[in-house]
Amino acid sequence: MSVSPASVLRPITMPRVGFAPLVAPYVLVAPLLGLIFIFAILPAALALFLTFFETDILAGTMRFVGTANFARAADRGNVLNSLRVTFLYTVLTVPPSMILGLSIALAINGLRRGRMFWQAVYFLPVAATLVAMSIVWRWMFVGRKGIIDQTFGQAIGLTDWLNSPVLSLPAVAIVGNWQQIGFVVILYLAALTAVPRHLLEAARVDGAGAWSRFWHVTWPSIGPTTVFVGIITSVDALRVFDTISTMTGGGPSRSSQTLAHLMWERGIYFFDIGGGSVVTLVLLALALAATAVQRLLTARLERAGTR
Amino acid sequence: MTTHAGETRSRIMQAGIHIALAAGAVFMLLPFWLMLRTSFTAPDQIFSGNVLTLTHFSLDNYARVFAEVPLLRYYLNGFVVVGTIFLGQVVICVPAAYALSRLRFAGRELGLWIVLAAMMVPYHATAIPIYVLLSQFGLINTHGALILPFIGSAFSVFLLRQFFLSIPQSVFESARLDGASPYRILIHIVFPMARPAIITFGILSFVSHWNDYFWPSFVLRNDFAATVPFGIVRFLDQELGADYGPQMAAATLTVLPLLIGFLIAQRQLIAGIAMSSGQVD
Repeated sequence: MSVSPASVLRPITMPRVGFAPLVAPYVLVAPLLGLIFIFAILPAALALFLTFFETDILAGTMRFVGTANFARAADRGNVLNSLRVTFLYTVLTVPPSMILGLSIALAINGLRRGRMFWQAVYFLPVAATLVAMSIVWRWMFVGRKGIIDQTFGQAIGLTDWLNSPVLSLPAVAIVGNWQQIGFVVILYLAALTAVPRHLLEAARVDGAGAWSRFWHVTWPSIGPTTVFVGIITSVDALRVFDTISTMTGGGPSRSSQTLAHLMWERGIYFFDIGGGSVVTLVLLALALAATAVQRLLTARLERAGTR
Repeated sequence: MTTHAGETRSRIMQAGIHIALAAGAVFMLLPFWLMLRTSFTAPDQIFSGNVLTLTHFSLDNYARVFAEVPLLRYYLNGFVVVGTIFLGQVVICVPAAYALSRLRFAGRELGLWIVLAAMMVPYHATAIPIYVLLSQFGLINTHGALILPFIGSAFSVFLLRQFFLSIPQSVFESARLDGASPYRILIHIVFPMARPAIITFGILSFVSHWNDYFWPSFVLRNDFAATVPFGIVRFLDQELGADYGPQMAAATLTVLPLLIGFLIAQRQLIAGIAMSSGQVD
């Protein structure tokens, strides 16, 4: 097979500016924007709309009810209760998993050998299907026969956690920590490798101790990661569902019912779309607030960093 | 002499760190061991003796799960759902991310802005309105309800866009000067080059959708389209009240595929998570 000399010697020409290159970008972007509109932007708007209606999803009918859904939600006090529970869950999971995650990351980062191994061990719960592991934890927390009641619980005199209004939420929070610590470790390990080595060396030469090196060099340079981890674990607390649903079902007497579970119970379990949408608005507001806080903190850190 | 002492001290330090990490690892791994131990223990022996050691090995629990749970269908559903989401994301998100990062056109800024706005609306928060939409389309209880909301992934677009921006413009430019159409550039240059980024978001997408229990709980009311987590939990709650042996066998079978996958693709998964986190903001 011979190559025709004409094609080899084809002169370099200006690119053809035709119809296709002008339209192409829109063809490439349109499907994505369409899907985003239907499944992200429209639903956010629809959520507000639905709160003013009584929607019967099975019959396909809607009836305008004004602010009745809000009044009902306020009356029952469930939303307020779930806000309190969600806040408490956030307090019980975010600071502990950040502190433990950073400590473990620092420990792994200080190793000469076996870093990948320990990283994998601590990451295992992140990859495991949470709802299946919740079933395992439920079995561990079972009253009397479970391993918690037989060992740890008996030792400190706290038993039957899942049936206790005081201990059910901490039980779920323990699982929450167990599951996300590995995630925090990974993020901090990535940040720690980016800490300027020459600064650490300089501090060491100047005689700074381990704590002083951490506080004056490492901690400031992992600041953005700390903000990010704090926000992302808080947002995760807003949507905690798998553990609650399998371990406590929100109980006993709503003592562990977070906002995400309340939203499911109202909207899906009780077919109360209006009531569920009220919870949706609360969740949306909190998620947007978390993003705003993140933007603000990150911007401030970046300003401080470049000063 | 001093260096020798320093070496000894640092060795003790290293050993200390390993011991501390091992102590923490007991807490991390204990649930996995209890799950395996209980699942392989004869049903009538689960509460006898030490709860930590496996003395009466038996496969009865697994036999019962396989006999009573339509596990194969759940696995199949899971692969269909996760696979379709991934293919859809590649077909929709790669071209869009390329256009939004490397093509100049009126409205690009607006498009970018919409993608960023969508990233701020977590689908967990808007589950009810999406449920209403899906039920209007008649998609409740179908695979479509589990797939469609996740194909136009703003997060994937963002990840891919960062990736394309890191490739010199000259690479795309030279192909354009050779007279290649945007579509040819897409197929012959953009897709092959985006492979590392596609693998990264593919792994993240696979893990999160395979494990997902939240979304099926909203859009499925029977187990026709049930993926593994939803199908198993539904079955447990209806059939296996306090039969912990079969429960743990079912849990093991749910977790297993991902744990195997994790052992194979550990590096990519961890790198992907570390990478995506730096780019979310």
